[in-house]
Amino acid sequence: MFYDLNIPITTTISNSGSKKGKGKQPQATSSPHFTAAPLSAIDAHLDLLIHLGYTVICFNQTVNKKIDPKIHVNVLNEMLDKLKPRPGILFLKRLSIILDEDSEKGFGLINANTSYFNSYDILSLVPTNQATFALACLTHTLPSPLTTHVISIPLTLPRFPFYLKHTLIRTAIKNGAVFEINYVGALGGESDSVLLEAGAAETNGGNAKRNWWAAARELVRVTKGKGLIVSGGVVAQTDMRAPRDVANLITLLGLSQDAAHAACTSVPKSLILRAQTRKTYRAVFSEPVLVIPEGYSAPTQLPPPAVSDTFTASAPIPSASSHEAVPGQKKRPLEDDAVESNHKQNTSATASAQINQSGDKKKKRKKNKD
Amino acid sequence: MVRFKNRWFLVEFIPIPSDTKILSTPPIPLSRSSTEPIQLNLDGKAIYSALKQSVLSNYGDVGWGAVGLSLSVKYFSPTTNVCIIRVGRDQHKIVWGALTLLNGIESAKFIPNVVHVSGTMKHVQLAAIAHNRTVIARYRAMADAFGKIFS
Repeated sequence: MFYDLNIPITTTISNSGSKKGKGKQPQATSSPHFTAAPLSAIDAHLDLLIHLGYTVICFNQTVNKKIDPKIHVNVLNEMLDKLKPRPGILFLKRLSIILDEDSEKGFGLINANTSYFNSYDILSLVPTNQATFALACLTHTLPSPLTTHVISIPLTLPRFPFYLKHTLIRTAIKNGAVFEINYVGALGGESDSVLLEAGAAETNGGNAKRNWWAAARELVRVTKGKGLIVSGGVVAQTDMRAPRDVANLITLLGLSQDAAHAACTSVPKSLILRAQTRKTYRAVFSEPVLVIPEGYSAPTQLPPPAVSDTFTASAPIPSASSHEAVPGQKKRPLEDDAVESNHKQNTSATASAQINQSGDKKKKRKKNKD
Repeated sequence: MVRFKNRWFLVEFIPIPSDTKILSTPPIPLSRSSTEPIQLNLDGKAIYSALKQSVLSNYGDVGWGAVGLSLSVKYFSPTTNVCIIRVGRDQHKIVWGALTLLNGIESAKFIPNVVHVSGTMKHVQLAAIAHNRTVIARYRAMADAFGKIFS
């Protein structure tokens, strides 16, 4: 399974008619954003990706500075409906927000807009200066419905915009965020136009390449190879590369071969699973289920319901509400086979949390497992 | 025994007709209605010189020195755009990287797709046969699908 988590899809918002034939989007009306021609081009792009071996593909919509649900519509939903159905390929939706000095005060990632953000599977940030980088690493990686799990540092800028502080990066990785390397910069290829306009990417191919090699190497050094994903960011078809080729390119940055391979496979996989926790409470995946062993008779007097109530409330779908809080109860049914070991870790974590009643412990256990 | 070990790459060059961007119209061979692959006018020598240029520009003379003596293009098929390249084992990563960073030759643009890496020529040949089989199957499936639309 190979993952490409960044296929930039752009729609123009400016008044001038774009040559791609997409309409303006002043408000959240259902104007057709994708006519037939760009759709067939996207289909062709996807065909090539699938031929090269990618099975999980994530479309990325990039927004500059602030995000406003009234202006920025989720165009990916519409586009996905119109694409050719492809069995066996997983499509995901992602939103990237470019942060710069204007976004320091706030850029729309607030609780009020949660329903809008839930239409995206993965959220990511593109910080461009030290302050927004600190903001992104520290506050936005904590588990919540608005966690941005991917931090994508612009790697092709001429002067590397900010100093990558080791402690910030380590906190972000501990919280479960990942840092993204877009391999399009290595080839000097063309980046997403929104990034170019916002000044987060370099247009000149040769310079972009040189900056990319320097910056990416620095990123690998600071993260020590953990918490890295590699993704495309490819706009032009000439820049696409097969996943193993990309893994080999990353080894040239000083990453060991297994770490490079993990950055293409297992790290994105856990990222996608983790991104689903936005829809749960505090990153708990499963609901606790009580298993009563045979021969056990319930005590005549129920213990005070305080402990059990908090946990039925915290489960995404609370089942029978008559859970007894039996602290010594270690038996839990194994979850479905399709569930990752992350889930098992969470159920044991919830068991211990029942005893300890501490949400933080849950979080820490889950993150240590990652 | 200190044997000189090689790595054999099986590379497929996927042609890209022109400067197609993601949101523009021209179709590429895999989704074309016709089942013929686009012809790139390549041959073994052209690939070798392009690869040499790529190694020189990305790794410099030092890189070329490491790789040059053992690099050779053993096979190229213009119909399927499949190429077999041999390098010494210790430097195969350099060549692999240079191959990935290759964008095209002169006017023809393509995507280099390394299908298989192996230590012996025999396994590369087997991989080439298997790869050809899947590509032909894919073209046939496309042809069938296309035929169904019109029938």
